[in-house]
Amino acid sequence: MKNLKTLGLVMVLALALGLGAGCAKKAEVQTSATEDPAAVALNTAVQTITDGIVYFDYDKYDVKSEYTGMLQQKAELMKAYPDIRVRIAGNCDERGTQEYNLALGERRARAVYDYLVMLGVNPSQLEMVSYGKERPAVSGDTPEAWALNRRDNFDVIAR
Amino acid sequence: MKCGLNWSNWLSAAALMLCCAFAAVPARAVTIVDIYGPGQNMVNMALATPLTGPDKAATGLGKELGAAVESNLSFLPFMRLTPPSAVLGGSVLNAWQGSGLDFKRFQIAGADLLLTAYWPGGDGRGGAVEIRLFETFSGKPVFSGVYRDVTAANVPATADRICADIMQTLTGSGDFFRSTLAFVKAGGPKKRDVWLISPTGKGMRQITNIAGTALSPSWSPDGRYVVFSHMDDSSHALGVWDRSRNRVQRIRFPGNTVIGPVFMPDNKVAVALSTNGYPNIFLLDHKFQRERVLEQSPGIDVSPSFDSTGTKMAFTSGRMGGPQIFLKDFTTGQVRRVSMNGGYNTEPTLSPDGTLVAFTRLTPQGHRIFVQDMVTGIERQVSFGPGRDEQPSFAPDSYFIAFTSDRSGQHKIYLTTRHGGEPKLVPTGAGAATFPRWGKIPEAK
Repeated sequence: MKNLKTLGLVMVLALALGLGAGCAKKAEVQTSATEDPAAVALNTAVQTITDGIVYFDYDKYDVKSEYTGMLQQKAELMKAYPDIRVRIAGNCDERGTQEYNLALGERRARAVYDYLVMLGVNPSQLEMVSYGKERPAVSGDTPEAWALNRRDNFDVIAR
Repeated sequence: MKCGLNWSNWLSAAALMLCCAFAAVPARAVTIVDIYGPGQNMVNMALATPLTGPDKAATGLGKELGAAVESNLSFLPFMRLTPPSAVLGGSVLNAWQGSGLDFKRFQIAGADLLLTAYWPGGDGRGGAVEIRLFETFSGKPVFSGVYRDVTAANVPATADRICADIMQTLTGSGDFFRSTLAFVKAGGPKKRDVWLISPTGKGMRQITNIAGTALSPSWSPDGRYVVFSHMDDSSHALGVWDRSRNRVQRIRFPGNTVIGPVFMPDNKVAVALSTNGYPNIFLLDHKFQRERVLEQSPGIDVSPSFDSTGTKMAFTSGRMGGPQIFLKDFTTGQVRRVSMNGGYNTEPTLSPDGTLVAFTRLTPQGHRIFVQDMVTGIERQVSFGPGRDEQPSFAPDSYFIAFTSDRSGQHKIYLTTRHGGEPKLVPTGAGAATFPRWGKIPEAK
């Protein structure tokens, strides 16, 4: 019975990976013949959840359609692994001022939070925080750098 | 029989007693420099060399205090200090008051005012100093005061008291020299704490030391607390520093967002929380617990700022698209948009007298500080970079504005005024310094 459940989770993961193909960079997942397949599947799920980043337009906090597939993939994995807890961190580029950017980062985190809940994720699996412009992913005073900093990060804080 | 005091000593003692009776009071209740008018008045002041007797220049604490007063006065944009080299015959006088004063040499040097300092008992430790201010053209006294128990340790504080009294006499407000700025200083990539410093750069000290990032400090009107936003890896919190206990606590709120807390005149706190699903402005009670919503919209409402009556609140809102400055009048409940130019206006600070709002505007050249008249709507740019100028904060006198700029390559704190003018750096040492906010610590009784 346990093996059947594990097989099911691996299939969900495989489906999710298929859905998310091309959405975001995929980290290499170490697999070993000696590792427990369930542990491998969990590691892969965690990696998939944390890898995908949602980017936003300037001074906007609406989730663009290109990220719905990625978020659906994250939602499926979180539903499959109810012990996983994820922190959504909203971030902004450096151009705005700090207090407004903290609020904008909160709106960005909440937009994704609401979408994941709408997809059926238990709210108790989610928390969110805004870092405003305090934690840029890349440094630089260019449109490219700004675009990479207007984002939601996903950190798995329990599994 | 030999008398213990000669006539000169008796006269000095009598003068000192007279000064004590009227300690630190203006000689007349007339504002000499209008710092609030449409233009920027200027006044030229000469500082006579501090004396311990006729023609006898002070060499100890008197010299030290004189330098501290001169340094302080250099922060006043409406004051031009007459260099001693411009005074024919020099600035060492044979008198410190009355007809013995030679005002002419200071008139010729272009000074409108003359400040004298006399140490009747010498300028050793624990001495007293008599400060007098005169108009050079009429010779009329403008101000006199006596300051006792001067020691090397309290020279900076004594200079602040003297300059506060002088500024009070000249402009009607001496709060600049009675203020203490709270600000945020970087201690590492993810470590920023709250520090205190006088606006003239004295007495800098750290008051918080907690992992994470402090932002947006605000003084309580009674000078007991500094509240601030605090952010670590997982949460926002309201930081509260209690001066009486020198203790810091973190208070979390549902929604995990705490932005821009600010004390109101009644010692309650307004702060943006996302408890209702959006960052809206809440009122906290005296125990820092949620009392009610002050302003909300289906968007972003942050950065409240109040006048001294607490009836007007300026704030930033994204309710009409990009961030703009709005004003809520609590007597009518009406909210109106204040900033009409530019697409990105944030960080409002209402002058305590309620006449002006300063804010940060994103211009093609970067962020700049603007001041807008609340009645006429006329706005004026008061900072011009280079770099980013942001986080303006009106002083209690509604004249000075502290702000942050990275014009030197690193964020530092500068002072300007409601009229603009050349910004003056507040020296805060190594590391980035941001979020200057004015407050007053009550004097110890």
